[in-house]
Amino acid sequence: MKLRVIRANLIVKLKTFYRERTAMFFTLAFPIILILVFGTIFLDRDKLSLDLYVQDLDHTQASAKFVKTLQFNGNFKIIEVDPATDAREYAQKHKLNLILVIPKDFGNLHDQRADNKTHDASVILTYIYDPSSTSVKTKMEYLNMEFAGMNQRMSGRPPFYRWEEVSILDQKYRFIEFFIPGVIAMAVMIASLFGTVNMNTELLQKGIIRKLSTTPITRTDWILSNILYQFALAIISTIAMLLVSYWVFHVELHINAWLLGFILLDVFAFVGIGMILTRFVQEAQSAVAAANAIVFPMMFLSGSFFPIEMMPGFLQTFARVLPLYYVNEGLRASMIFSDNLAALRYAAIIGAFAAVVFALGIIATKWEEGK
Amino acid sequence: MANQAKHAIEVENLTKRYGNLLAVNGISFTVRTGEVFAFLGPNGAGKSTTVEIIDMIRRPTSGKVRLLGMDVTKKKRAIVPRIGVLPQDFSSFDRITVRETLQFYSRLFSRGNADIDGLIELVHLKDKAEEQYKNLSGGLQQRLGIAIALVNDPEVVFLDEPTTGLDPRARREVWDVLLGLKEQGKTIFLTTHYMEEAEILADTVAIISKGKIIATGSPVELIENNSNYLVLTLQSVDANAVEIIRKLGFEPVHDNHQDLKVRVEHTEDILKTLNAIKDAGGSFLSLDVRRPNLEEVFLKLTGEALHAGLAEGGEVG
Ligand SMILES: Nc1ncnc2c1ncn2[C@@H]1O[C@H](COP(=O)(O)OP(=O)(O)OP(=O)(O)O)[C@@H](O)[C@H]1O
Ligand SMILES: [Mg+2]
Repeated sequence: MKLRVIRANLIVKLKTFYRERTAMFFTLAFPIILILVFGTIFLDRDKLSLDLYVQDLDHTQASAKFVKTLQFNGNFKIIEVDPATDAREYAQKHKLNLILVIPKDFGNLHDQRADNKTHDASVILTYIYDPSSTSVKTKMEYLNMEFAGMNQRMSGRPPFYRWEEVSILDQKYRFIEFFIPGVIAMAVMIASLFGTVNMNTELLQKGIIRKLSTTPITRTDWILSNILYQFALAIISTIAMLLVSYWVFHVELHINAWLLGFILLDVFAFVGIGMILTRFVQEAQSAVAAANAIVFPMMFLSGSFFPIEMMPGFLQTFARVLPLYYVNEGLRASMIFSDNLAALRYAAIIGAFAAVVFALGIIATKWEEGK
Repeated sequence: MANQAKHAIEVENLTKRYGNLLAVNGISFTVRTGEVFAFLGPNGAGKSTTVEIIDMIRRPTSGKVRLLGMDVTKKKRAIVPRIGVLPQDFSSFDRITVRETLQFYSRLFSRGNADIDGLIELVHLKDKAEEQYKNLSGGLQQRLGIAIALVNDPEVVFLDEPTTGLDPRARREVWDVLLGLKEQGKTIFLTTHYMEEAEILADTVAIISKGKIIATGSPVELIENNSNYLVLTLQSVDANAVEIIRKLGFEPVHDNHQDLKVRVEHTEDILKTLNAIKDAGGSFLSLDVRRPNLEEVFLKLTGEALHAGLAEGGEVG
């Protein structure tokens, strides 16, 4: 093992990476795009502002105040519908899933109740809605909650039932915080596996390995510099993903040595698999196809994007034999839950797997004899 | 010890088997220190296999190979820093420039004390020093390959078909570089299927065919030893001349469709042939008598053409 040789190799690989813009894009930008897309889709509910169409047939001070309250307390974005139109037709025509209709004598009834003239005065608010819309139920429940709160406040007495939430975790985590460790594990897997497969098949086919075998570089130097290169890429890519997550989604994750450890194990495991693949599948195209066949089930079944508890039982069992599952869970144990013991357990499993695969990969990598 | 200094390469009874194919079949030869040694043979003759066993890319099936006095199967570590190799179909990292590539290879050998600029100048790549490998033409790529083979200032240089695929001009430029190396006193082991290349560059030529060496010597020696005959060329002969010549016991060969080549042993045979054609009323435009060149020697020895252009002629004798 010669540091000078490893360094020279690393420089060539990093320069190539930097000059190969498409490779750079897919390694760095692809996971970031995933984070942005999924992060936006599953953005927290309370940060969300829903559109609310309101038709105010009453048009009094009282009804205007009511709408204002809804807007502030319920965090709705209010859009007014002309009282002169037919709300049903309007909803159909504009494909709205809900219009809240305030009846004509709203102000009148409200005053009666507020001045305690009539105790049982009540007003009926109408939801004109499209039952085929998937999100309308949520919106209606949201409104119901708001109205319940307003009713309670109108009674002038403090509520009897109150509640507080106690999470079994130190901290409540959001979907995006669940998602980031999975994307990191997946991105490192893809970069390491495809990076190794592409580089090995290319260098083999171009005869560069043959040329290298006539220089003092050894197989160990070669493999080590490949590992270091993949590790460097993984670090760069992870930093980019974390920066975006912090800036855009204000995630709260624990960044510590476990992160580095799991990335390293991830790299070892999948560089190892890549080395084994290129030994047995030497045609560049079939090697890439084989790599795809490994990556896809891992990506979707190992719980990178959603908890495996959401899958049927037999798939959950299957997920537990996928190495990426242990990287996902290990990263979550450390980054979300700060659970060192669990992280250690997952690290031990993926570590053992990586050691075996990597050893096989070293054996599989031919150096002399050219092809 | 004296023997080590005299011979850079000693090969004894070397064989290499690929499954059922005996690609190299018990060959023996030596390469003197400081000479240019050319392996000449057609496609698939076993040139690359032999070279790559000597420069330790492949392993022999059996036989002994000593390079710089050391057994190649045992002393790779000690030998590698002292040799330079240009493998066949050499290629390099696409996105890395000429200068960076040379720096990379020199770092593999040492702490980068190689004279990179000197090497770039030697192979006439000064204008292209900052160009990425993928942007170089085939000839320039090949010259970079030669420069890489020289980064460690090797004592023995192996060049496997350094000019195949190059145009005549690019080929000449490579020859210039190689002649320069020869002047520096480096031992050069070259493979080629260009006769001209062997004649111009080589001190010793070994002709290899189907895994066996069938003749060795300097280009001049090879011609002398194998030219106990003359080549009579007749231009624009008519058809029945072929028959007439056959009747005399010679086997004529068509060259360029119209010309006829006849291999004869004595000057009298020439007169006999010409008279026979005259008597039969045959005609020809002109004639030429000369001793054979390396190309024809090769044909005679191997019964194979060196490259496609010659194959049309078919076999002699
Ligand atoms: N790795 C290999 N496995 C199986 N057969 C091989 C291998 N390498 C070469 N051969 C066969 O061995 C024979 C000699 O090949 P070799 O490459 O040594 O010839 P060559 O003289 O260099 O030819 P060329 O001029 O085409 O480079 C050929 O028939 C070739 O097909
Ligand atoms: Mg060859």
